[in-house]
Amino acid sequence: MWRRLLVVSLMVGLLVLTALATSQAAVKIVFWHAMGGWRIPVIERMCADFNLEYPEFEVVPSWKGSYDETFVASIAAARAGKAPHILHVTQPITREAIDSGIFAVAEDLIDRFGMEVKWEDYIDAVLDTYRVGGRLYCFPWNSSSAILYYNKTLFEKAGVSLSRKPTFEDIIEVGNKIVDGGYATYAITWPILYWWVQQWMAEQGQNVVDNENGRAGRPTKAYLTSDASIQAYEWWKQLYDEGLWVNPGRSAWGEALRIFTSHESAMFISTTAHVTAVQKSSAEGGWELETTFLPIPEGTERCGGTVGGGTLWVTKDHPDEQLKAATKFVVWMSDTAQTIRWHQLTGYYPIKKTAVEILEREGWFEEKPSYRTAIDQLLETKSIPATQSALFGAFRAVEDLMEIAFEEIMGGKPVEEALAKANDKANKAIAEYRRVIGEPIERK
Amino acid sequence: MAAKFPQKAMAYFLLAPTILICLLFLYYPTGRTVSLTFYKVAFFGLKKIYVGSDNFKELFTSADYLQSVLVSFIFTGASIVLSMTISLVLAILLNQKVRGIGIYVIAIIWPYTLSFAVAGTIWSYLFNPAVGMINYLLESLFRIKPDWISIGPLALIMIIVTTTWKSLGYNVIFFLAALQHIPRELLEAANVDGANDLQRFWKIILPLLTPTIFFLLVMNSIHCFFTSYGMISIMTEGGPAGATNIMVYKLVHDGFNMFKTGYASAQSLILFVIVVAFTLIQFRVAGRRVHYGGA
Repeated sequence: MWRRLLVVSLMVGLLVLTALATSQAAVKIVFWHAMGGWRIPVIERMCADFNLEYPEFEVVPSWKGSYDETFVASIAAARAGKAPHILHVTQPITREAIDSGIFAVAEDLIDRFGMEVKWEDYIDAVLDTYRVGGRLYCFPWNSSSAILYYNKTLFEKAGVSLSRKPTFEDIIEVGNKIVDGGYATYAITWPILYWWVQQWMAEQGQNVVDNENGRAGRPTKAYLTSDASIQAYEWWKQLYDEGLWVNPGRSAWGEALRIFTSHESAMFISTTAHVTAVQKSSAEGGWELETTFLPIPEGTERCGGTVGGGTLWVTKDHPDEQLKAATKFVVWMSDTAQTIRWHQLTGYYPIKKTAVEILEREGWFEEKPSYRTAIDQLLETKSIPATQSALFGAFRAVEDLMEIAFEEIMGGKPVEEALAKANDKANKAIAEYRRVIGEPIERK
Repeated sequence: MAAKFPQKAMAYFLLAPTILICLLFLYYPTGRTVSLTFYKVAFFGLKKIYVGSDNFKELFTSADYLQSVLVSFIFTGASIVLSMTISLVLAILLNQKVRGIGIYVIAIIWPYTLSFAVAGTIWSYLFNPAVGMINYLLESLFRIKPDWISIGPLALIMIIVTTTWKSLGYNVIFFLAALQHIPRELLEAANVDGANDLQRFWKIILPLLTPTIFFLLVMNSIHCFFTSYGMISIMTEGGPAGATNIMVYKLVHDGFNMFKTGYASAQSLILFVIVVAFTLIQFRVAGRRVHYGGA
C-alpha cells in the first residue's frame, strides 16, 4: 500500500516538474495565412526553421482559407479578444485593415523594438504599394504579379509565336490560328477575377478610383466606365464570343491551372506564384513552358501592372514580449535567405534587390527564365498611383462588381451597360463605406 | 391528452435547461438581429451608426435583392415539385413485394445522408463544362456542350437537379412509410368495386397521403430556403451574376464577407417573415385539404 503511494507521488511529482519546465516555454505566436494547398507544408517548414533558430519563440502557422476568409476570421477573432498575432492580408484589404484599428503600424514596431531593417534593399515598387501617407503599415512578404504562360511546344506545332510583350490583338490572332487549326480546344483561360481588370487598367495608367487612386484621400467615385476599363472588357468579351476564352469559374485558380496543364488551352494568364507548379507540370508532361508580360491594347504605353499577393500585419492588443516575437518573425520572413527560398519554392518574386542579385549570380534565372518574367515586368513599372494599387475601403465590394459585370456580359448584356451599372453600384459602395467608417477606428 | 404533473416546481426545474438554451441561442440572437436592422455596422461591431429604416429602404429598392427573392422562390418551387413527384413515383415502385427490393430502397435513400456541400461537390464535377460526365454524354448524343457555370438559367438548372437528387431519399422514406400504412382493406374494397389503378391512386392513395405531402412540403421548403447554402457556396457562389443568389446565400455574403451586418440583419428579418408567412399559409391550406386519420 505504501509502495503504491510512493509510485503515485513520484509520478505526480514528475508531472508537476514537467509542467513547470514547459511553463518556461517559448513565447507562442499565432500566424494566420492564406496560402493553401501545397504551400501549407512550405510555410510550416519555414516556421519550424524559425522556431529552431530562435527557441525562445514558437510560431504556429494556420491556414484560414482565402485572403477574404482570413481577414473576416481575424476581425471576428479580434472582437472576441482573440486576434492572431500575425495576419496575412492582401493588398485590396489594406485600407480596411488600417481602418479596423486592430493592427499595429509596422514602422512603429520596428522602431520600438530597435530592429534592423534595410528598407533601401526592398524593391521600390513593392514599398510604394504599401506606403500609406508615407508610413509603412505592414511587412511585405509574398508579392506577385500577373503574367501570361503559354505552351511553347504547342505553339511551335501550330507555327505561331508570341513576343515577350504581347498585345490584345496578338492574342486574338495567335488564338484563332491555334483553335482553327485544332491544336487546342481553347486559346486562353483565366479565372474570372477582379485582379486582371485592375492590371489592365493600371497598364494603361488608369486609376480605379479618384483622389489619386485613393492615395491622396478617401475616394468619392470609381472609374469602371473609363476607356481603359471598357477596352479591357471588350477584348475579354470578344475572346469569349469567339470561343477563344473558356470560363473556369470565379476565382477558380485550380480549375484554370488544370485547363492549361491538360492542354485544353494553349495559353493561361495567372499569377507568377504559379510558376513552380506549372514548371513542374511541364517537366512531367514533357512540354516547354514560356512566359510573357501581360498583354495590353495595341498602341498603349506600357505602365506596368500592380503588385499583388499579400503582406504580414501584426495585431496590436498583445503583451510586449509577444509583439516583439511577432515583429522578429515577420522581419525574418523577408530576410534575404527566406525571400530566395520562398521565391524558388513558389514563384512569388524575391522582394529584395540583394536577393535578385544573388539569384542572378547563381544563374537561377538562366536556368529557369520563367521565374524572371514577373520581376522584369515589375522593374519596368512606372511609379504612378495606378500601378501602386487603389487604396479604399470598398475595394472588396468593387472586386465583386468587376467580376459580376463580366458574368452579365457573358449573359448578353452590352459592355458599356454592364460597366455603367457596376460603376453606379461602386460609387454607392464607396459612399456607404465613407458614411459608416469615416475615419479609422481608435483603439488603445 | 394532458398529463398532470404532481409538483409544479419540479416541472419548471425540468423545463429550465431547454428554456435557457432557447433564450441564449434563439430569442436573444433574434432580438439582437432585429435591433441591428436599424444600424449600419462596421467590422462586426467595432463601429456602429444609427440609420433608422435605411437598410429596409435600400433592400426594397434593390434590384439585386428582388432577383434574390425571385431566384429563391423559383429554385424552391421547381426543386419541390420535381423532387416530390419523382419521389412519389419511386416510392410506389419501391412498395412492391419483389425480391431484392430492399437493395433498391437503400440505393435510392442513401444520398439523403450526404450533406448539401458534398452533394454540391459531386454534382460540380458531373456538371463541369469541360470534363464533366454530363457534358460528355450530351456531346456524344446531341453534340452540345452547355456552359453550366457561365449562363444563368443553366446554373439554376444545375442547382435544381442537385437539390432534387439529394432530396429524393428523404421524400421516398416518408412516402414509402405512408404508403405502407394505407389499410389494405380500402384498396381491396376498391378493387372489388371495379376501380382501376389510376382511380385507386387519385381517389384513395393520394388523399390518404396528404398529411405526408403537407409535412414534406414544409420540410423541403426549409431545406431549399436554408440548408442548401452549402451547395450554393460550393457550386456557384450565387452566380453567375446573381442567377443562383438565393436569399440565405446573399444574406451570409453581405453580412459575413462584406461586413454589412445591419443590411444582412434586415434581410434576415425579411426572410424570417416570409418563411413564417409561408408556413402559416401551408397550415391554412392543410386544414382544409389534409385528411388525417386514415385507419
